[in-house]
Amino acid sequence: MIGKDKLFSTFEKVVKSSKADETEITYIGSTTGLTRYANSTIHQNVNETDARVFIRTAIGKKIGVASTNSLAVNDLRATLKNSLEIAKFQRDNKYFDGLPEPAEYKKIDTYFENTANYKPKDRARMVKKVFVRGNRRKYTMAGAFSSGEGEVAVFNTRGVRCYQPLTGSSINIIAMSKDSSGYAVGMSRNIDDIDPVSLADIAVEKARLSRRPKPLKPGDYEVILEPSAIAEAFEWLNYVGFNSRAFMEKRSFLAENIGKKIMSDSMTFYDDGNDTKGIAIPFDFEGVPKKKVYFVEKGVGKGVVWDRLSGKKHGVESTGHALTANQHGEGAYGLNIFIEPGDKTTGEMIASVERGILVTRFHYINGLIDPPKAVLTGMTRDGTFLIENGQIKHGIKNLRFTDSMMRAFSTVKGISKERKLIPSWWDAVGCMVAPTIHLGSFKFTGTTDF
Amino acid sequence: MKNKLGNVLDWLKGKSVDYADCRYVRTEKESIQVTDGVVDTLSKDVNVGVGVRVLHDGAWGFAGIASTSEADIKKAANKALQTARASAMAKKEAINLAEQEAFKDHYKTLCEKDPFNVPINDKVGLLLEISERLKTDDKIKMAQASMDFYKTNKLFFSTEGAEIEQDIIESGAGYETIATDGNEVQKRSFPNSHRGDFATRGYEFIEEMNLLDNVDKTREEAIQLLSADDCPDTETDIIITGSQMALQVHESCGHPSELDRVLGTEISLAGGSFMQIDGLNNLKYGSDIVNIYADATVPGGLGSFGYDDEGVKAQRSPIVKEGVHVGYLTSRETAPVIGQRSNGTMRADGWNRIPLIRMTNINLEPGEWELDDLIADTKDGIFFDMNKVWSIDDRRLNFQFGVECAWEIKNGKLGRIFKNPLYTGMTPQFWNSCDAICNRNHWHVWGVPNCGKGEPMQTARVAHGTSPARFRKVKVGASK
Repeated sequence: MIGKDKLFSTFEKVVKSSKADETEITYIGSTTGLTRYANSTIHQNVNETDARVFIRTAIGKKIGVASTNSLAVNDLRATLKNSLEIAKFQRDNKYFDGLPEPAEYKKIDTYFENTANYKPKDRARMVKKVFVRGNRRKYTMAGAFSSGEGEVAVFNTRGVRCYQPLTGSSINIIAMSKDSSGYAVGMSRNIDDIDPVSLADIAVEKARLSRRPKPLKPGDYEVILEPSAIAEAFEWLNYVGFNSRAFMEKRSFLAENIGKKIMSDSMTFYDDGNDTKGIAIPFDFEGVPKKKVYFVEKGVGKGVVWDRLSGKKHGVESTGHALTANQHGEGAYGLNIFIEPGDKTTGEMIASVERGILVTRFHYINGLIDPPKAVLTGMTRDGTFLIENGQIKHGIKNLRFTDSMMRAFSTVKGISKERKLIPSWWDAVGCMVAPTIHLGSFKFTGTTDF
Repeated sequence: MKNKLGNVLDWLKGKSVDYADCRYVRTEKESIQVTDGVVDTLSKDVNVGVGVRVLHDGAWGFAGIASTSEADIKKAANKALQTARASAMAKKEAINLAEQEAFKDHYKTLCEKDPFNVPINDKVGLLLEISERLKTDDKIKMAQASMDFYKTNKLFFSTEGAEIEQDIIESGAGYETIATDGNEVQKRSFPNSHRGDFATRGYEFIEEMNLLDNVDKTREEAIQLLSADDCPDTETDIIITGSQMALQVHESCGHPSELDRVLGTEISLAGGSFMQIDGLNNLKYGSDIVNIYADATVPGGLGSFGYDDEGVKAQRSPIVKEGVHVGYLTSRETAPVIGQRSNGTMRADGWNRIPLIRMTNINLEPGEWELDDLIADTKDGIFFDMNKVWSIDDRRLNFQFGVECAWEIKNGKLGRIFKNPLYTGMTPQFWNSCDAICNRNHWHVWGVPNCGKGEPMQTARVAHGTSPARFRKVKVGASK
């Protein structure tokens, strides 16, 4: 960890020589470790200390961006020079309204010493316990266990000084037999919140229950989607639907549906970077405080997230969802997606199903089929079960689904009161907080051999 | 730098490690993107560091550090050693590496025009012209053009005496446009989707693409799709163009032939493989005309290099021969499991990641058909062009791929255009239904810049040499 004071004093030194009208430096640094295991042995054990420094300069409305992974003042000055050279060659960006002014952001605790100090041998000891839980019942274990610390800082010549130290840990576990597998996952900013042994037991139990899977014909089924399955679907909905650029280009399913009823009343989901029940970070990568943004509230389309450039283009204010300066062309993205809980337990939802399917997780979802209709396709994996007469009957061979999520989430029959943190593509600065959801109708369109 | 890496390896030898290697990597990247006439990305990135991989007591440890000072590299080496000791606490069997000659060499990409020396104004000017010409119809909602360039210098030194330097240049460009009429939203791209086409070549590769020549066609097809019929739900013969064949080879042959995946070490994220070891030399993967091979020596291929990140020389090796599965992509750790030496496919996406088995150029050998003859030979069918959607199960069997655009084939001629087309199947049945592959006149090595694998996630730049091919009785439909 470099620390706030040293980072900002270094950046002060660098921008002193800047000939730009405005200069911004965004820093993301981390030291992380990851232990990967399969066939109940560690096969990969890695550590990484790295940084990303993005320097955005503006000459009038001409913007240049250059980046480096070195904090040495000479390297930063060279990067600043690159950024300025690029700005000189740029065309005016009519949507650039200057860099942000300083603004208060929420003070939240996102750093835990115990997580920062977790060592490779600590991870190896814990993974060994996971192996023991599998070996006792003759299941081989696979997965990955990570821990680390990091810091994000945003500095600009208008006086923005944002800094947030971070820690994080996550584990995913697959228990495997010859003809089945089961999955469990955990994540937190505080490693003590994760219990790999209990998660191993969940994975093993799912693998046991799905032994000797039977084929099931594709078709329209009632489903119960567990938090990992929900999170994987919403990760894609976020990518194709909650992004400002997709909204402006009419690719987002929300683009023509603001104020319209598009899902069941019980469906409410939003982005909230300040909520420490998720993997919070209170400002974006241009130093704008994060606002809570509803995508869908009580089934009605509400809006998407914005950064300053895309917001200006659309005539709205930034909601604090800018990516790093090299990615501003992609528009704003939500990183902290929450789906509101319901009042059921998973057991109650299973008990209410006459004939349906329980899905642990999805694999290789793709949401580019027909984004305006929120159509996703993907496969089930690691624990897919037939439910009959309110009970899990047996494991089934994996199925492909292809369906509109607007249609499927208009058939909600229940949502669990418990939610889980599920790692996402950007898990250092966000995650998905998802419940289990019971849908009355979900279209499976294909099968596979296992 | 070479002395520093040598000194650190000497220090590790003194700690009695089984094996160690150090990789110094410096990568420069330039990205330019123009959207609707606005240059929304113009960025340069420099990334430098060293990764140290240690095998000690039969177990791996790795540490990477964003520094080039000898003291910091030694710290990383010590961390890698301590981590290998931690790994040994939970190992089943000691890791043994296949034998490998220790090369001393310097490899360079063939490059006529260094893209980093081409004036930014020229590059931006071309992209602006494309964007503006795409946008000359009110139905075009978005027009985007982009270029990406990479310049990598890397050193690989090992305790076995390898001393390899490589200088690799990669270039790519492409554009896409989105049309809408208020109800439909449709997209077309050129020369391929997902940021275009890429190669280990210089700016001459961009010039040879003749990007401006296809702007009008791309725009008009996007608009035409708005009023097109849905692709019918049916079972029919299909012809797949070269760029979509690249995706087909990538997902259904490249990934499942990675031996680490076959052995289960990728199961938690990307999954396993149906190409199991007991099927080697007898699994009927495809029809007799299907020949697929890995070749890291193809000049200009995005998956080409001199040596992999374990110091193994680039080579060509068969994966499918006359329809039979005959080989894998391997590493020094996995190759001994099938009684072989590594065929050189271990690559890391930087100094900060360990090398994994990655595709190189996984190529489908061309057949004998001219494309016009193949279409003329097809009574009823559908012609599928350019990837839009990819999804496949975690053993690489059930797939569903969608493309941007399709055309009906009726009595040997291309007819009406279809929107939202997709096709689906099971990998071995699908490849066994392949009855025609176009010849070398239609064969092109498509660069794929975004292949994801591993935890932490690594992105590899790979390629696929393909030509259009025909498959019989495939389930197709519209994506609704």
